[in-house]
Amino acid sequence: MAIAVSQSQQSVRRARKNSPMYRAWQRYRRNGFAVAGLGWVILFFIIGIIGPWIAPYSYTYADFLHMHSGPSWQHLFGTDTVGYDVFSQILYSVRYALEIALGATCVSFLIGIVLGLWAGLSGGIIDMIVMRAVDFMFALPSFFFALILVVLLGKGIFPMILAIGVPGWAGYARLIRSLVLSMRNGEMVEAARALGAPQWHIARRYMFPNVVGSMVVSLAFGIPYDLTAQAGLSIVGMGLNPPMPSFGNMLAQAGANILGFPWLLYFPAGVFAITLLSFLFVADGLQEAFNPKGGM
Amino acid sequence: MFYAKFFAKRFVAIVITLAAVIAISYIMMYCSPGGFMNTTQLASSLAPLAAQDPAAYQKLMEQFQLRYGLNLPLWHQVLLYEWHTFTLNFGNSMQNPTLSIMSQLKTALPISVILAFSSVVLSVVVGIPMGIIAAIKRNTWVDYLVTTLSMFGQAIPSFVLAVIFVLLFGVEWQNVLPVTGWGTVPEAVLPVVSLAAGNIGVVARYMRGSLIETMRQDFIRTAKAKGVKYWPLVLKHGVKNSLTALITVIGPQFAFSVVGAVWVENIFAIPGLGKVISTAFTNFDFPLAITAVFILGATIMLTNLAVDVIYAVMDPRVKLQ
Repeated sequence: MAIAVSQSQQSVRRARKNSPMYRAWQRYRRNGFAVAGLGWVILFFIIGIIGPWIAPYSYTYADFLHMHSGPSWQHLFGTDTVGYDVFSQILYSVRYALEIALGATCVSFLIGIVLGLWAGLSGGIIDMIVMRAVDFMFALPSFFFALILVVLLGKGIFPMILAIGVPGWAGYARLIRSLVLSMRNGEMVEAARALGAPQWHIARRYMFPNVVGSMVVSLAFGIPYDLTAQAGLSIVGMGLNPPMPSFGNMLAQAGANILGFPWLLYFPAGVFAITLLSFLFVADGLQEAFNPKGGM
Repeated sequence: MFYAKFFAKRFVAIVITLAAVIAISYIMMYCSPGGFMNTTQLASSLAPLAAQDPAAYQKLMEQFQLRYGLNLPLWHQVLLYEWHTFTLNFGNSMQNPTLSIMSQLKTALPISVILAFSSVVLSVVVGIPMGIIAAIKRNTWVDYLVTTLSMFGQAIPSFVLAVIFVLLFGVEWQNVLPVTGWGTVPEAVLPVVSLAAGNIGVVARYMRGSLIETMRQDFIRTAKAKGVKYWPLVLKHGVKNSLTALITVIGPQFAFSVVGAVWVENIFAIPGLGKVISTAFTNFDFPLAITAVFILGATIMLTNLAVDVIYAVMDPRVKLQ
C-alpha cells in the first residue's frame, strides 16, 4: 500500500516535471539575463501598482522654491524646470506606462485573436479579406497610424491605449491564423480525433500547450514595442497631455533643457532603458524556453 | 515581360494602399474634435474678435473653410484630396498659407531619406562583420559580447540613445561633435549612429543565425572535403550564401529607420520631414500632416519594391510573385 502511494506520488511528480511549462521554466532559468530581466520587470509591475502611494509628492505639486535643484534628500532625483519632483514623476509614469502598454497590447491581441481565428477557421473569401487587411497594415509603420489616431481620439490614457493598440493587431492576427491552420491540419490532432478524443480534450491537451508558447512570446515582444511607441508619440509632441508624467515627456523635456540640468535625463532615461532591456531579455528568454530549436 | 507584369501588379497594390491611407487619415482628421482654427495660437488671437464682432468672425471662418475646401461634402473632399495628392498638387499648409507644401517637402524629404538610408548602410557595414565574427566564434565570449551588444542596440530606442548622445556630447565632451543642426558630415554622425544602433543589432543577429545555418549545409561539407581552406570556405561559400537572405531585412529596416528619423530629428533639431510631421500634427495642420505621411509611406513602399527586385536578381532561387 505504502509503495503504491509513493509510486503514484512519483508518477505525479514526474508528470509535472515533464509538463511543457515546467521544462520551459527549466530552460528559462538557465538564461541569466532573462532571470535578471524578469526581476526588474516584476519590480516595475510592483512600482506600477504601489507607485502613486509611495511617491513623496503628487505629480501636480510644483515646488517653486526648489526649481532646477539637483538630487538631494528632499528631492531624490532632483526637480525639473517647473519644480516637479522627478522621483515622483518617474513613479507615476511607471503606472501610466504600464497601463497604456498592457492595455494597448491587450487591444491588439484581442483584435488579432478574433480576426485571426475568424480567418483561419472560415477560410475562403474571409481569409483573403483579412489577409489583405494584414498586408495593408504591414505596408506602413503602425506608428503613423497611431499618430493619426491620436489626432482623432485625444491625448488621455484611454485614447492612448486605443491609438497604440488598434494599429498593432496585424501581427497577432497573422500568427494566430497560421497557428490555427497548422493545428487544424496537424497529424497530432488528427490522430487524437481518430482515437476518439472529445473536442475539449483535444483543445486542452493538444492544441493549447502547442499554441501557448508562441502567443506568450509574441505578447512579451509586444509590450516593449508598445512602451517605445508610447514614448515615441511624446517625442513628436503627441503623447500624454502634460502635466501627466510619462517617460516620453520627461525625455523630450530633458532633451530640450539638457545643458544646465543633466539629472533630468539620467534617471528617466536610465529607468526607461533598463525597463525596455529587461522586457526584451524576458521576451528573448521566453522564446528560447518555449522554442529551443527555432529562433536565433 | 515577367518583370513588367510584376511591377504593374506591385505598383497597383502600392497605389491602392496609399489611396486607402489618405482616405482613412483624411476621414479621421475630419472627424477629430480639434481643428486648426480652434487649437492653434490663431484661436487665442481670434477670440477677442469672436467676442466683439461675431459676424466678422463668422465671415473669417467661412473664408478659411472656402480656402481649404472644408465646406464641401465629405466624400467630395476625400476624392478631391486624393486627386490632388496623386497629381502631386499638395496645395499649401495651414500654418504657412503662402508656402506651398511642395517647397517644404523639397527641402525636408531628402534630409530624412538620407538620414534613414545612411543608417541602414552603416548598420550593414558594421553589423555584417559583427555577425560573421559571432558565428565563427560561436559560444565563446566574443559571441556572447556581440549578441549582448545587439540586444542592447535593439532594446534601446533611437530617441533614448539620441538624448543620451546630446548629454554626452553637449555637456561632457563639448566641441567633439555638434549636437544640433544638419548639413555637414560631423553634424550627421550622432543622428545616424543613434538611428543605426538598433539596425546593427538586427543585422548582426540575423547574419549570425543565417551564417550558422549555412555552415551546416551539405555543400559546405562538400567544399571542405574537397580541401577548401578555412577562410575561403567561410567567406566565399558561407557568407556569400547567407548575404542574399540578409537583403530581405533591409526593407523592414528602412521602414524602422524612417520612423526613427521622425523621432531623432526632433531631438537633434534637424529640419527634416520628422520635424515637419511633429509640428503639423501638434498644430492640426491637416494638409501638411497627411501629405507628410503619404510621402514617407510611398518612400517606404517603393524601397520595399526595390529590395524585392534586388533579392530576386541576386538569388536566382527566389521567385517574384
